[in-house]
Amino acid sequence: MISNFLIIAWRNLSKHRVFSFINIFGLAIGIAASLLIFQYARFELSYDRFEPKGDRVFRLEQDRFNNGKLSTQWAAGAAGIGKLVKDNLPEVESYAHLHGTNGLVVNYKDKEFRENNTVFFANDAFLPMFGYTAQKGMQAESLKDVNTAVMTASAARRYFGSEDPIGKVISMNKKKDFRVTAVVSDPPPNTHFHFDILLSFATFIQMNGPGAETAWGWDGFYTYLLLRPGTDPAAFEKKMADLVHSQWGPQMKDTKEGIAFHLQPLRDIHLYSNYMFESETNGNGRAVYFLLVIALFIIVIAWINYINLSTARSVDRAREVGVRKVLGSYRTQLVGQFVFESLLINALAVILGLLLVIGCLPVFNVITGKQISFSLLAEGWFWLVLTGLFLAGTFFSGFYPALVLSSFKPIAVLKGRLAGTGHGALLRQSLVVFQFAASVVLMVGTFAVYRQLRFMQTLDLGIRVDRTMVLKGPNVIDSTYMAKLSAFKEEMLHEPGIVSMTASTEVPGNKVKWNAGGIRLVGSDPTRVQQYRVLGVDYDFMKTYGFHFLKGRDFSKEFRSDSAAVIFNEAAVRQLGFGQPGEALNKRIEFWGKQYTIVGVVSNHHQESPQAAYDAHIFRLIPEVTDYYSIRFHGDENHSEAVMQAAKRQWAAFFPGNPFDYFYLDDHYAQQYKADEQFGKTFGVFAVLAIFISCMGLLGLASFVTIQRTKEIGIRKIIGAGTPGILLLLTRDFVKPVLLSFVLAVPVTWWLLHRWLENYASRIAVSPWMFVLPALLILVIAMGTIATQTLKAASANPSRSLRSE
Amino acid sequence: MIKISDLQKVYRTEEVETIALNKLTFDVKEGEFVAVMGPSGCGKSTLLNILGLLDDPDGGSFLFNGTEVAHFNERKRADLRKRNIGFVFQSFNLIDELTVFENVELPLIYLGVKGPERKQRVETVLDKMQIMHRRNHYPQQLSGGQQQRVAVARAVVNNPKLILADEPTGNLDSSNGNEVMQLLTDLNEQGTTIIMVTHSEHDSRYSHRIIRMLDGQTVTENILV
Repeated sequence: MISNFLIIAWRNLSKHRVFSFINIFGLAIGIAASLLIFQYARFELSYDRFEPKGDRVFRLEQDRFNNGKLSTQWAAGAAGIGKLVKDNLPEVESYAHLHGTNGLVVNYKDKEFRENNTVFFANDAFLPMFGYTAQKGMQAESLKDVNTAVMTASAARRYFGSEDPIGKVISMNKKKDFRVTAVVSDPPPNTHFHFDILLSFATFIQMNGPGAETAWGWDGFYTYLLLRPGTDPAAFEKKMADLVHSQWGPQMKDTKEGIAFHLQPLRDIHLYSNYMFESETNGNGRAVYFLLVIALFIIVIAWINYINLSTARSVDRAREVGVRKVLGSYRTQLVGQFVFESLLINALAVILGLLLVIGCLPVFNVITGKQISFSLLAEGWFWLVLTGLFLAGTFFSGFYPALVLSSFKPIAVLKGRLAGTGHGALLRQSLVVFQFAASVVLMVGTFAVYRQLRFMQTLDLGIRVDRTMVLKGPNVIDSTYMAKLSAFKEEMLHEPGIVSMTASTEVPGNKVKWNAGGIRLVGSDPTRVQQYRVLGVDYDFMKTYGFHFLKGRDFSKEFRSDSAAVIFNEAAVRQLGFGQPGEALNKRIEFWGKQYTIVGVVSNHHQESPQAAYDAHIFRLIPEVTDYYSIRFHGDENHSEAVMQAAKRQWAAFFPGNPFDYFYLDDHYAQQYKADEQFGKTFGVFAVLAIFISCMGLLGLASFVTIQRTKEIGIRKIIGAGTPGILLLLTRDFVKPVLLSFVLAVPVTWWLLHRWLENYASRIAVSPWMFVLPALLILVIAMGTIATQTLKAASANPSRSLRSE
Repeated sequence: MIKISDLQKVYRTEEVETIALNKLTFDVKEGEFVAVMGPSGCGKSTLLNILGLLDDPDGGSFLFNGTEVAHFNERKRADLRKRNIGFVFQSFNLIDELTVFENVELPLIYLGVKGPERKQRVETVLDKMQIMHRRNHYPQQLSGGQQQRVAVARAVVNNPKLILADEPTGNLDSSNGNEVMQLLTDLNEQGTTIIMVTHSEHDSRYSHRIIRMLDGQTVTENILV
């Protein structure tokens, strides 16, 4: 029986090549897209799932309040919280305590690297909590003593080659030496916390005092808690709040400050955490689920094609069904036969889909910015998903047509009384409506993502980020640094093409890490303190970046008093309590025990991508900063090889022993759009795929219905209908569901767009055009698709179509 | 073999009620060759559907070999049908995607006959119908007469007790038609019961008895033999 099914299925497939192609190719695209998206989503969802104790590990997220209003949220909070909870709450089994470093220059003999955000101070609880074990050296003693370090295997290879790292001494900024006590395996790619070198936290305390373990006002410390089995996180959070309130509350009352801590489950950090001081840029949980929904859309659209084409073509198969019934086939056998055909088509689609995955993987990696390798073919889950898609596809796409086909009354179909294509026409139209509604949602989404991106990229940032090269400042310095910096600057300004240079603690495109609390107007209520983000800059910062002064003046060497001067931006002025920039001018502020005068007010600028709201910034004059040197140059290009070579030459002369690290600011700033760009691209590609598959289905239906109506068309032409009239007649039936799909898709899309745009402080307005244009585009594509079939039929010679009757 | 009494079939649409069979009663003995005649709409096809267990009556009794089958469910009807009844249609109704051999083989597949036996039985019957040389051709490659011979081969391959023929020569020229009628006659002489619906007086003369129908009832019966 099966061989008979196979024979007839195969002959049907090869007889109706267009339908077979649409079905198999559509399903294959759906399967390939789903597999790729599943792989991507699986990777994103796999973050930090390997730690054996992961379900008991939580990071403490910190909220700070001023006057009862939430002011800042931190991934790395107060220094003292870990020890406080460990000492007082028995639920805490251990706490890991970490503090980051930036741009440290690490030396071993002649090997020298600048470590960017890859070196952390960590206490001895960190490694066991995260399941790291020593590959070399002693795990138990690592990070206990002062001046000890632990390296990852790859970092150890980088510094020591084939030498045994244990006991070797590395130096930080050529100032402080650390002895390597252990080597651990590299953190896996799917963890939110990557490091190359860990330095013992005991050293940090030795360098910075005991406050590093007790202070409530010193932020920037990652605290992870390992809770005892059976601890209820909600109850624990409550206990922790009471503890913090009783211990720190009285001190904070004076300044009307508040602080709250929340437990972040380790496994949620990557997808759901986006606070100040994240150890790396995290993923976006919503985007992951969004993509999964898109994958589902695409595969369902392909299944719908199969359902539509099989039921539309059921007339073709009706006679066979009748004959088989007459010959004694049970209905179940017929259902079995048609499900088997669906199985065959799905099997072919799976094979083609696999080939597509293999062929498209490199492209997919470029689009999503992920590194998915072919090794996924060796993983069990991959084949599980594939089998799942195959079985689900066979069932969902095959079952309904099988029921329809097997329900025919044998005598009726054998006598040719099965009229037209009315069978299931309503269902087919509904499914087409769904397909196009999904396409409209995706298309409008794609347009919106791109418009928002374009909007951000062309927005006036309030500063210039073009034609600027940024050097990472030297870390290995001595008492002559200030003189060297001045001389370096002098030399650089003599190089051809260079306009200006400035040193600063941050450059645009960076989150400002210097968060200063306790700032207030001199003479004001001491409880009315606020937090501001502070940039330390030299005399040329404002000029180099083109800040716009609303009131007052820039820092100037002519005013010796400027060492106690600050410049505010509009947002900071407002936070200080003034409505107009002028009102803040020459006011004095209290800043960590010293007084500063506001000498200028600049307009707000987008320090970060316009996704973030304007922040309250204070610019403080600190000419001796070491973090970044920004060099602005003339020319038509944003990048200049000549400037880079000149900087490199001068750098080698002035700052030997410091690696030369540079980037161009336009690139650096654009990095912030990368996630959005990738999201947009991924979205766009899959939207196009969805529309493509939908149109293939429409093509199949149009071709079929047109063939069905050949006789009608012939008769209409004989009694006087013209080609345009026929075209209109044929097109109308297809355009109706497409139009209806727009009507249904618009409210859904409208809502989704508003939700998505809420993530952006500077955003485009949702206008009707954003719906009309993509909808028109889809309509034109759909009409074009239908026209390929209908034009042929409408212009055919009627005598030919009627003669065959 | 067949005994129907007071058989009724009514087709209802929203507004019209059509009585297709009105208390129809007759017998067919084993080995008989019966022709059913009558104008269009007299209920011939409805009768054939019910006799072929493709449709069930609204009333009355239908004894097939002494068993009441009027209210068999679909599965039981299919079981009885595939073991006992062969069909020959006016429009042949061969499956286009299957070859001559595969078309004739189909009833045996549904009967669960094993491959080697199937092959032998199909070849025997194709030989008998003189279309063995066409075994690997598709229906569209055959003439009408050849197609109907294949259809007859398919109808008899499972050795049915009863053959129902619905205007078997309606799409054929007279010489092909006669050939098909001769085939049916031969089958009948070998013991197969045949009930044939026809418009053709010529064809009806091959039968033993003619039942004439009008408005769902038999009007006359002519015994020819």
